[in-house]
Amino acid sequence: MTVSTLNAEQLSCFHFKASFSPCMILQLTRIDFDALEQQLKQTIAKAPNLFMGSPVVVDLEKIKTQGVLNFIKLKHILMSVGLVPIGVRGGNKEQHEAAIIDGLPILTNQKLTVNEKEQPAVHNTHKESTPTFAKFVTTPIRSGMQIYAKGCDLIVAAAVSPGAELLADGSIHIYGPLRGRALAGVQGNTDARIFCRTLENAELVSIAGYYLTKEDIQTNEAKDGTIQIYLDNTRVRILSL
Amino acid sequence: MTKIIVITSGKGGVGKTTTSASFAVGLAKKGYKTAVIDFDIGLRNLDLIMGCERRVVYDFVNVIRKEANLNQALIRDKHIKDLFILPASQTRDKEALTIEGVGLILAELNKTFDYIVCDSPAGIERGAQLAMYFADSAIVVTNPEVSSVRDSDRMLGLLTSKTKRAEEGRDPIEEHLLLTRYSPKRVTRGEMLSLSDVNEILAIPLLGVIPESPAVLRASNSGEPVILAEESDAGQAYADAIGRFLGEEIPHRFIAEKNHWLKRLLRFKEKEAI
Ligand SMILES: Nc1ncnc2c1ncn2[C@@H]1O[C@H](COP(=O)(O)OP(=O)(O)OP(=O)(O)O)[C@@H](O)[C@H]1O
Ligand SMILES: [Mg+2]
Repeated sequence: MTVSTLNAEQLSCFHFKASFSPCMILQLTRIDFDALEQQLKQTIAKAPNLFMGSPVVVDLEKIKTQGVLNFIKLKHILMSVGLVPIGVRGGNKEQHEAAIIDGLPILTNQKLTVNEKEQPAVHNTHKESTPTFAKFVTTPIRSGMQIYAKGCDLIVAAAVSPGAELLADGSIHIYGPLRGRALAGVQGNTDARIFCRTLENAELVSIAGYYLTKEDIQTNEAKDGTIQIYLDNTRVRILSL
Repeated sequence: MTKIIVITSGKGGVGKTTTSASFAVGLAKKGYKTAVIDFDIGLRNLDLIMGCERRVVYDFVNVIRKEANLNQALIRDKHIKDLFILPASQTRDKEALTIEGVGLILAELNKTFDYIVCDSPAGIERGAQLAMYFADSAIVVTNPEVSSVRDSDRMLGLLTSKTKRAEEGRDPIEEHLLLTRYSPKRVTRGEMLSLSDVNEILAIPLLGVIPESPAVLRASNSGEPVILAEESDAGQAYADAIGRFLGEEIPHRFIAEKNHWLKRLLRFKEKEAI
């Protein structure tokens, strides 16, 4: 899908890139929503079956020197052409904040995060060769099943039944109801987070070994909407976004 | 194309054998050549429910061990043409069923039958996994209670991973929910999960709701599957479910509590008072 000539590169406002995870990367090269919508429609018309319902991650790396964009509008555009935006990567801090508020999680590779901390100036050259940044699951996770995302984030676009267990070295994003257990940062990453939609029947949530049980969760106010669970020192906090 | 259907549940005593018998009869009555196989080695219930226990000579395990051939072991139903029963063995040896043996028998039946209904034993162990392994379609029998729903959910997990279709990466097995022993009255009283509670967790297409009914016990005592009791609620509910299984659009019945005239009147009065 990559447009190869330099000329086209200048005109086009996005690239589709294959990735190692089973979802597509939409790399924005400039912020122009009208052009984006039009060009997406043209591209997708050529292979509608390839794109219909595909999860996409929006890569902001090439527009990170530019301002904050309207992610709500972006989501509408993507969904109108049959793509399902599941998060963003790359980009700057302001863009991340806006993305989270508008309901798009930041999908960052664990290793990259560490590198970024150590040397904040240079970091984006090897990004594309990173083998996995998230494990992606679209089928229901039933009672007795256990899913482990080793060395990366876990994205679940399905329901998690009571008695099912999600584990990730990184963060966990759940788009269906969470009725089982979710344990993020199981190797001790205290920056790992859990994002979910409904928490009412969750059995357990844990970050880096610190956890809340069903009873703790039920006394918490935030149970619906977009929920973020993170570690504040040694306390697991539930925050409604 | 022959279709292999497994009737499964995880939890015991929820109505798998009752369902297998009625399904097999229903399909055969619609003109499909149907075999129903009892995978519950050691217990042997299906032949009782089908009313053919006295005619059992050879069984499933005899055929696997090559002590009899398939035609000797298959029992032709007394009333319905095109319906055959392969009874379970009463041997204690649960290892008697092998995956190769089951595969061979199913391949043989595949040549002449339209539908093969497999009555699974309870549990999630070997017997249940063998019953589902070759299936194209699964009917998950669930009662409206938490433990049964949890077991059905586990079963659905196994169906997506532990079947031949899953192993070969073919289209996944078709999944159908059959909610049995449903009592709208007890749902209203909060003693049972409601249809929507169950649906929310399992989230697979609903084939039907079979009401809790005295007709089921009467049917098993007389050895005539309840679907043959055509005036009974459970019999009609099974007939509807088979219609839906075959692609007919039939509205669901027996889900709402019957509105008693007295209750209706009371409700009317209540409204008036407001
Ligand atoms: N709709 C119904 N209404 C009333 N009783 C029912 C109904 N369905 C099943 N039963 C009763 O429940 C009991 C168990 O039924 P059945 O043997 O079909 O279950 P099963 O799942 O095959 O059990 P097992 O796990 O032991 O093989 C029987 O006594 C049967 O009569
Ligand atoms: Mg049984």
